[in-house]
Amino acid sequence: MKTSRLEQAIFTLNARQMASEPDSHIGAIDPRALLVVTAIYLLAMLSVPVISLGMLIWFAVYPIISAPLAHIAYERLFIKSLYVLPLLVVIGIFNPIFDHETAFMAGNIAISCGWISFLSIIIRGLLSVQAVLLLIYVAGFNRMCEGLLLLKVPRLLVTQLLMVYRYLEVLLQEALSMHRARQARAYGKQSYGPRMWGSFVGQLMLRTFARAERIHRAMLARGFNGSLTWSRNARWSTPDTVYCTVWLIVFALLRYVDFSSWLLKLLTPMSI
Amino acid sequence: MHMADALVSPAVAAGAGVAAAALIGVAAHKVKTIRRENIIPLMGVMGAFVFAAQMINFSIPGTGSSGHVIGGVLLAAVLGPWAAFLTLCSVLIIQCLVFADGGLLALGCNILNMAATSCLIAYPLIYKPIAGANAGAGRIFVGALLASVVGLEIGALGVTAETELSGITALPTSVFLSFMLPIHLAIGAVEGVATGAVLCFVAKYRPETLTANARGAYDRGNRRRFRRLLVIFGAGTLVLASAFTWLASANPDGLEWSISKVAGLTEFTSKALPTAVMPEYNSTFAGVIGAVLVMTMLWAISTLLFHSLRRAEVPSRTKK
Repeated sequence: MKTSRLEQAIFTLNARQMASEPDSHIGAIDPRALLVVTAIYLLAMLSVPVISLGMLIWFAVYPIISAPLAHIAYERLFIKSLYVLPLLVVIGIFNPIFDHETAFMAGNIAISCGWISFLSIIIRGLLSVQAVLLLIYVAGFNRMCEGLLLLKVPRLLVTQLLMVYRYLEVLLQEALSMHRARQARAYGKQSYGPRMWGSFVGQLMLRTFARAERIHRAMLARGFNGSLTWSRNARWSTPDTVYCTVWLIVFALLRYVDFSSWLLKLLTPMSI
Repeated sequence: MHMADALVSPAVAAGAGVAAAALIGVAAHKVKTIRRENIIPLMGVMGAFVFAAQMINFSIPGTGSSGHVIGGVLLAAVLGPWAAFLTLCSVLIIQCLVFADGGLLALGCNILNMAATSCLIAYPLIYKPIAGANAGAGRIFVGALLASVVGLEIGALGVTAETELSGITALPTSVFLSFMLPIHLAIGAVEGVATGAVLCFVAKYRPETLTANARGAYDRGNRRRFRRLLVIFGAGTLVLASAFTWLASANPDGLEWSISKVAGLTEFTSKALPTAVMPEYNSTFAGVIGAVLVMTMLWAISTLLFHSLRRAEVPSRTKK
């Protein structure tokens, strides 16, 4: 039986919740450190000139090293990141079409700048998705929200993030049960016409309002005064400083040192 | 319409990020002043609802394709523009972090293109004047349709502008626009029909839940203040964009820098670097191959490390 998009979304959500391992080697790192390192990694990697493929590939060091430390096989991270490949190909494929300037010769074949930038777009896209997946796998959503709060992100937005995330699975399950009930009575007709879709989603929305009212009453009964309260678990310690410092030095080196040329120079005397 | 990190330069991402953060700050302040009793839990479940509704497609008659609701105008009609903006921001953040839809660095761009255009431009300037309070199904439907089309078209313009300013793709602006605008016109029409259908249903069974029907929810003073704010933000964004353009043009761009570097290396390597490893290729290519080899080796080591760490973990867990 074909899996519906609702079921796929629930699988993904559950997979993310199952994947986060707080007892891994870097699982105890403060979420602020993880957020800062991820943001600086993305900035450093995306600021590499599009055509410098040799420099860009070295940025794979971060997910390749961090994945096993977070108890995740890099292959798994890599396969998950392939999800964005179609979008990257659709946008990037125009570069070889419009940019014919020769970048270098590979034997007798001229490789154009367009193909280099096409590859560069794909590598950038995959690495950035891997970095974000790594962040969510290591920190987990709740700890990451705590990190955002400590980084002075408005409390209301963080409350929203937590509430949407908490009720996401509930509403997906509710939509799925409605969808299954409709499928059971549809005599094999899979798709929804616009009118039926309107009443279906409208019905889901009315149930959502009713749920919001119930949640609000329950929250008031527990002393809700406008924002959620957190027991502050995150404490910045020496390992967090070391983690940030080491990765920032690595990113600076990757950004400003062309290791590909350096490696080539190192190999050349050996070959002579 | 979710933009990936790969297509955005750090300067454009930073500019959009600052603008989005400022809007989030204003929205958080505005939402605190809303006197609707259950606004916080309603925003939370409505965000989850939009997410669930996006997963249910409807068939578009005569085309064989399907569409789904995006939710900006729908949220704004129920929650009001600022609360809807904040809710859609949280949906976009979760989509980025949990479902890898859109990049983390491109989040500012995505918030401006999707949340700000639909909730802060299309809703108050298109939907609200057309539908108004206690509107009939026809006015709600036309308002939702036009607001969705305008919101998506402005968003598509935003995507084009941000991608072109980033300079990652070689696609000329005119070609990019000729792809983006007609596609998003069609998507906007589908989104409009979907939003209209849901809002008509809600207006029929729970009319009091639509913000426009709530007494004094959107008075003339609010509208004037909103317009003033829009002008300030427009001017601010222009200043910011000009500053970044100036900064970007003060130095050679990445492509110019790299091409000159590549040209220099080609001359150098053709004479001096006939490597035994790859004698037919020049240094740039060989460098790339070298980097790939090193990364593959690192990957292999990483896999070994992963398995050895796992193996070391298992006995310690069993002991517990």
